[in-house]
Amino acid sequence: MLYLQILLNGLMLGGLYACIAVGFSLVWGVLNVINILHGSFVVLGSYIAYFAYVHLGIHPFFSIVLSGGALFALGYAVQAGLINRVVGAPVLTTLVLTFGLDLLLNNSMLLAFSADYRTVRLENPFGSLVVANLVVPLNRLYAMLLAVVLTGLLYVVLMRSRIGRAIVAVRMDPEAAALMGVNVKRIFALTFGIGALMAGGAGSLLSLIFPISPLASTDFLGIAFVVCVLGGLGSIAGAMVGGLALGVIQSFGALFIGPEHGLTIAFVLLIILLIFKPTGLMGRRGYE
Amino acid sequence: MTRIIPIVVVIAVALVACLPLLGDNYLLRLGTMFAMYAVLALSWNIIGGFAGYPSFATAAFFGLGAYTGAILQGAGIPMIVAWTGACVMALVFAVLLGMAILHLKGHYFAIASLVVAEVLLEIATSWTGLTGGGMGLNLPVLQISIEAQARLFFYAMLTIAVLALLMNWLVSRGKVGFALRCIRQNEDASSMVGIDTTFYKVTGFGLSAILVGGAGAIYASWVFYIEPADVFSVLLSVKPIVMAMLGGAGTVLGPVVGALVFIVMEELVWRNFLSFHAAVLGLLIVGLIFFLPNGILGLVRRRRAAGLKPEEEGAA
Amino acid sequence: MTDLSSRFRYFVAAAILGAASLAVTGAHAQDTIRVGAPLPLTGPLSPEGLKQKRGYDLWAKTVNEAGGIAAGDKTYDVEIVYVDYESNTPRAVQSAERLITEDEVQFLFSPFGSGAAKAASSVSERYRIPTIAATASSEQVYDQGYKFLFGTFTPNSTLTDPLARIVADSGEDIKTVAIYARNDLFPLAIAKEMQASAEGNGYEVVSFDEFSVGTVDHASALTLMRQSQPDWIFATGYINDLILIRRQMADLGVEPQVLTMLAGPAYKEFTEATGDSAENVSSAAWWHPAVAYDGKDVFGSTADYVAAFEAEYGSLPDYAEASASAAGVILQAAIEDAGSIDPQAVRDALAGMDAVTFYGPVRFGETGQITSLEPPVFQIQGGEPMVIYPDAVKQSDMQYGGIQ
Repeated sequence: MLYLQILLNGLMLGGLYACIAVGFSLVWGVLNVINILHGSFVVLGSYIAYFAYVHLGIHPFFSIVLSGGALFALGYAVQAGLINRVVGAPVLTTLVLTFGLDLLLNNSMLLAFSADYRTVRLENPFGSLVVANLVVPLNRLYAMLLAVVLTGLLYVVLMRSRIGRAIVAVRMDPEAAALMGVNVKRIFALTFGIGALMAGGAGSLLSLIFPISPLASTDFLGIAFVVCVLGGLGSIAGAMVGGLALGVIQSFGALFIGPEHGLTIAFVLLIILLIFKPTGLMGRRGYE
Repeated sequence: MTRIIPIVVVIAVALVACLPLLGDNYLLRLGTMFAMYAVLALSWNIIGGFAGYPSFATAAFFGLGAYTGAILQGAGIPMIVAWTGACVMALVFAVLLGMAILHLKGHYFAIASLVVAEVLLEIATSWTGLTGGGMGLNLPVLQISIEAQARLFFYAMLTIAVLALLMNWLVSRGKVGFALRCIRQNEDASSMVGIDTTFYKVTGFGLSAILVGGAGAIYASWVFYIEPADVFSVLLSVKPIVMAMLGGAGTVLGPVVGALVFIVMEELVWRNFLSFHAAVLGLLIVGLIFFLPNGILGLVRRRRAAGLKPEEEGAA
Repeated sequence: MTDLSSRFRYFVAAAILGAASLAVTGAHAQDTIRVGAPLPLTGPLSPEGLKQKRGYDLWAKTVNEAGGIAAGDKTYDVEIVYVDYESNTPRAVQSAERLITEDEVQFLFSPFGSGAAKAASSVSERYRIPTIAATASSEQVYDQGYKFLFGTFTPNSTLTDPLARIVADSGEDIKTVAIYARNDLFPLAIAKEMQASAEGNGYEVVSFDEFSVGTVDHASALTLMRQSQPDWIFATGYINDLILIRRQMADLGVEPQVLTMLAGPAYKEFTEATGDSAENVSSAAWWHPAVAYDGKDVFGSTADYVAAFEAEYGSLPDYAEASASAAGVILQAAIEDAGSIDPQAVRDALAGMDAVTFYGPVRFGETGQITSLEPPVFQIQGGEPMVIYPDAVKQSDMQYGGIQ
């Protein structure tokens, strides 16, 4: 029973991890840009959800639309205005650029919202479901289910819509896509916007669970890194598998080795995987 | 022109070495920081600048050196020996690590090297018996006057900064530098023309670690107290990259110029923007990417080249 | 390259190099006392840094409005010079040296927490600058033989001992304790102190687990506690850890008889973030707004201080904010006693101080750490922290059970 409970804890945590990572993975896969801003994007989404709930009474599950929309606009602008200018440059250039932008965004959030931790505290909390001595916290369960739905929606959009196909085409081969009449820079901006949108949505969901503060951004970024490498880059299914895997591994690791080693285990695993199987658990990358 | 540069460098080093004569302890502290930054930037330059491998392992080498030095000194081993031990430790670690992760390219290498520092941080935090864990580690206090201490650590740091500069100069003129530059241009082609790319990459990675380990150990002796989050901080990996890019990555003098400009900028921003300095630093970094993509030396060189011949010179 | 962009590059390069040649010197007026305060205004400790800043600011404002500090036949205004040390200990040491040598402050308030305060104290001792630590409790900070360092927090054991005794004397059936601590300087130190206090009072410590900095999930550790059913859970960490732990305990249905958390429940952010589940959480702190002292300082009684704080910031002061204000008040009393701002005279006045302030009676021991305080134990009841101990300021009795 204990193991089953730990497994459940891990899966619910993993669903949230996947949601944090999927936008990061998309941007990395399509643009070959490691977006250091991602953690701060998630936090910004959480703040939007927080203020929407406190001032407008909008439930965080519905403010996904707000935070996602706002972050999409911000992401699109950042890519179109700044990153697109250096997108062909060496790895380090884009990395350092997003690092600099992150310093700016994070410090601005610190000044605007202060570092004090806040949480969305619902009028009617969901409570927990207890089945045969197994406890399922409903806020986590719902948040995780919504995260899965959101990720599924992204998958459908990429597979079915014209823009989605164009993104996939650019990911496969930007030059060929350009020859076929795809406006590559616009697709880059759209992709970055969608990545930010997913971060904002994740932020809304997380606002119910984690204390919100600009200081949390590095934790989220670290999680996104690990999940991406675990699951394989740029693949949505990979992010899902990577997130769940990380959640379960951390839960059992904390049980068997002790809670202070949860992060160490995740990182060691990541290095081992990088060394022996850099394409991630899902093997070949891609959207299939 | 090229003959003048070594003379200028020697004079500059001699001038910096006279810093203690001013008798300003805070300035001396900044001087020590500058020398430390120069060591980090110059060391990163070997693997990141010459070979083009985006390494974020500087913090790992630095923290490892700091803890090695601190633990050895705590065991009663003389300071100089402890510092040397830290260099050796960092070198061995880098060679082993390099053999494991240098086959990775681009972002994958960047992440692997970044995560190594995180793992070491976690280990240092949880291995309480050896490192003191989150409580940090105190070093034995030196029984000499405060001024003498300030001078001692300044000269120690300056010495390895000069060593780092010499190392860069030798590498850039020697076979290793040639091989690393080939690897940056086209790794597959390099190995086809008979360059043992693995050997040279591991060598470069080891060279980029050895003096960083020493700097970490000197730093630990200098501040008397280290804790994992400080010596394995990700900023210790990022700042040298920014410095090298600021001055001109892949050049011998670029990282030093970058370190100087960086520390002056950092100090000014820190003084003048009480809680907004990180944002201002971020803006400067963004500006650097757009307006000085080849660093200050790249700009100077481009200007000079433009004066001689109108067509553009290749990026450094 | 277009002409414009290359010119722009030159402009940027020139700006950078121009900045390099700028020299910054701090000019200051004749009759102002400058107090240096390195604080973690950015980085992980920034919530704590901002609290301290509020406390110092309120003191400086109140003093200046009351006409300044009188020392001998001169009167001085107060100016606090802040430096952000980015929550990085070596940077805190550097800040202290910069404040002393470049900004020429006459006195220093230590950086946040025991680790940074200890590291920075070596600098202020060297320059013989009287220094007051408002948030350092570990005895190791003070036992270095330094003469110029004074602290307003009593040792950690003065928090955990009363707690253990109160629960032991209650007659409740409480035998087992589980300790869960953040692997970080202060939380770990106080958890170890709690272990000693618990064992000293005859409890069985069934588990002692640590979690690393940056942990975002406590489910596994809490699930284990749900199995082992300890009567008393003692969790330490910073406020974000404690909020998360409290929420996950509620989620997972971990319901001990007694739940003690340090050091978060004293902050209003804790009750705001956890709501009903904050109920009956017990804690201890070095100060509490309910204590009542008739201070002879610029604030007057504790109630007057609380009112002044509320008028300024719209909330009740917590112990960190009050301790920062107290550091100012103590410094002021020492300067007035000494009748000058001579460092040695002020230092001697501090060492010999015997005064009553809004914060409590102030006397320093041999090491410079305060000995005259009796830290209150309190419990969240009806959404408010109610004092349980000491009896003189007791507001309510400790409640057992009711942790949902």
